[in-house]
Amino acid sequence: MQELLGRISRLDPTASLGLRVIACFDELVVGNVNTRALLSAAASLAGCVAGFEQDRPHRVLRVTPAGEQAVGEPVRRTGAEASDGLVVWLEREGEPGANDAIILERLALAVRIRHGRGRSGDDNRRDLGLLLDQTVPAEDRRLAAAALGLAPGGRYRVAAAPLFAVWTGRPQGPEDVVPTRYGPIHALVVPAEAPVDDVRASPCGIGSATQPELLHHSFRTSLVALRLSRPPKTPRVTAEDYPGLVDIFADAPADAQYPDLGLIEQVTAQTWGQDTLDAVITSGSARQAARALSIHHSTMQARLDTITAALGFDPYDGMGKVRLGIAYLAWRLVRSTVLDLPAPTYRATGA
Amino acid sequence: MTSPTARPDFDPELKAGLAVVGGMFPPTITPELIDFMRVSYASPPLADTLCERGIHQEDHVVPGHRGDPVGVSVLSPAADVHERPGVVFVHSGGLMFGDRFSGVDLVLDWVDRLGAVLVAMDYRLAPEFPDPFPREDVYAVLEWTAQNAALLGIRRDRLLVCGASAGGGLAAGLALAARDRGGPALRGQVLDYPMLDDRGVTASTGQFDGVGVWDRVSNVTGWTALLGGLRGGPDVSPYAAPARAEDLSGLPPAFIDVGAAEIFRDEAVAYADGIWRAGGDADLHVWGGAFHACDIFAPHATVSRSMIKTRNAWVEKMIGD
Repeated sequence: MQELLGRISRLDPTASLGLRVIACFDELVVGNVNTRALLSAAASLAGCVAGFEQDRPHRVLRVTPAGEQAVGEPVRRTGAEASDGLVVWLEREGEPGANDAIILERLALAVRIRHGRGRSGDDNRRDLGLLLDQTVPAEDRRLAAAALGLAPGGRYRVAAAPLFAVWTGRPQGPEDVVPTRYGPIHALVVPAEAPVDDVRASPCGIGSATQPELLHHSFRTSLVALRLSRPPKTPRVTAEDYPGLVDIFADAPADAQYPDLGLIEQVTAQTWGQDTLDAVITSGSARQAARALSIHHSTMQARLDTITAALGFDPYDGMGKVRLGIAYLAWRLVRSTVLDLPAPTYRATGA
Repeated sequence: MTSPTARPDFDPELKAGLAVVGGMFPPTITPELIDFMRVSYASPPLADTLCERGIHQEDHVVPGHRGDPVGVSVLSPAADVHERPGVVFVHSGGLMFGDRFSGVDLVLDWVDRLGAVLVAMDYRLAPEFPDPFPREDVYAVLEWTAQNAALLGIRRDRLLVCGASAGGGLAAGLALAARDRGGPALRGQVLDYPMLDDRGVTASTGQFDGVGVWDRVSNVTGWTALLGGLRGGPDVSPYAAPARAEDLSGLPPAFIDVGAAEIFRDEAVAYADGIWRAGGDADLHVWGGAFHACDIFAPHATVSRSMIKTRNAWVEKMIGD
């Protein structure tokens, strides 16, 4: 497939080959393929032998770009990446390939997930998938939590990211790719006391803190938070950023109706609309909102007049802010593009 | 009850491969994409590969349909002197694109491992050269190969034809024509996921719109390029669309492989069945989860490797020393 990647970049020099590598491993993880298949894909994408070694029990596997087991001694290992007694590498002689880093990163993630702890007997899913599924019986969820090493009385959160998220750091914790109505999501369980800043992924959503058997709720809130993120400005959103509100959306059905969406559209049609609504729902007064936006109070008042006229109610009066807050977040969720994977583009050159 | 779009899923490793393949081979090929495909599906330079594998290349120009020149490459094991098995290879590319070396990697194994001499040609492509140009160019190269067998170091009793996709359809038509015209005797025909039927009426043809490699619309584009207004009508030659053949007796042994998750599944199965019913010899391998030409696009995947190994074993059985 290395040769195909080369063809794609010759056809469209702006094409993101990294995303194709990521999408390739996404499918492999969702398809639950074995280590050899993961190494075959990595080797095929890189055009050189891909290798894997685990500590206990000791096992080494090296696979050629044709998917065959490599014979002979490994040549120079490039960019080996370790995790929990697992090492993966590419046997590249000479300069690293343009996609080596992303291939290694995704191979390492996929191998880690494949080697996740024990699997449940009847259900074909791994433990984290069971734990995060509300429809799985509570007893099975408790067993899955125990198998994942989560303390029965402990408090944890789920961090959710799309498979194409960019990670620069993470706390230790069980992780897996879990199917959702938005497609496969990379889920990571972190202790509630771990600073949320330690989850360094863009985009990313962090769910509410809860006990292990209720982590399915934390997962749903993490998905809402993820969909509220707006990288690069707001790469990570935490459920606690919108206490109570995120929980309402987390349990709303896919076809929930929000009659005020049209009103919000009228405000966000203004260039200042979205930033101003953000400031209004997170501030206690028009004066505070003006300060947060670094605008003059009279400008703020003019905007508020426009907003009040568009909405038909005053956001600072009575239930106004609650109503506005719910409608505005619903609008952001409906309009969220954070989980959209850029579609492949075919740009016919001067063929 | 099945919904109209019910279809076998792709194998997970192959599905992953589609994330890459889709960038150079879109599922749906319309006439506007022919130029794009001629660039994206052009075979990569082969010289280094041949050198590494110790394969010798010799180019010829031979008379094709109506005596027009057709480019041919003869690939042989560099070291050998005595007469070898021969393979006439017909490339893939939907009848509209590709060149003599498109998808050749897989048959190079037969040259350096089985010692075969491979003859590959640039048959002329539709729509500029509609039927009968492609198939008659291929037939002319088969005749040229047989006539020059001694010169090329090929044993006439071990001559195989082989093709993938559009090339598989042409190879099947070649075997039919050789039988009917009293042409060169063939040891076998390898038809990889062959494009056999211009009518587009099978169930599998309707199952893969907009997904995988080579969907129903692409197939209409290819057959229309070849046959124009005759496509689907009563006047299509079985040498162009072998599914039209009423007599499948007296053919060389056939090896047919196809994916369960591609539009050609049903026509490949029907062709093998027709050969059996006519008293002939056919191997039929339907690979679960396989999309069209997965062995070309994702040879590393488990299904593809099984497909390649099974095919190579049959070829070795038929022509190996």
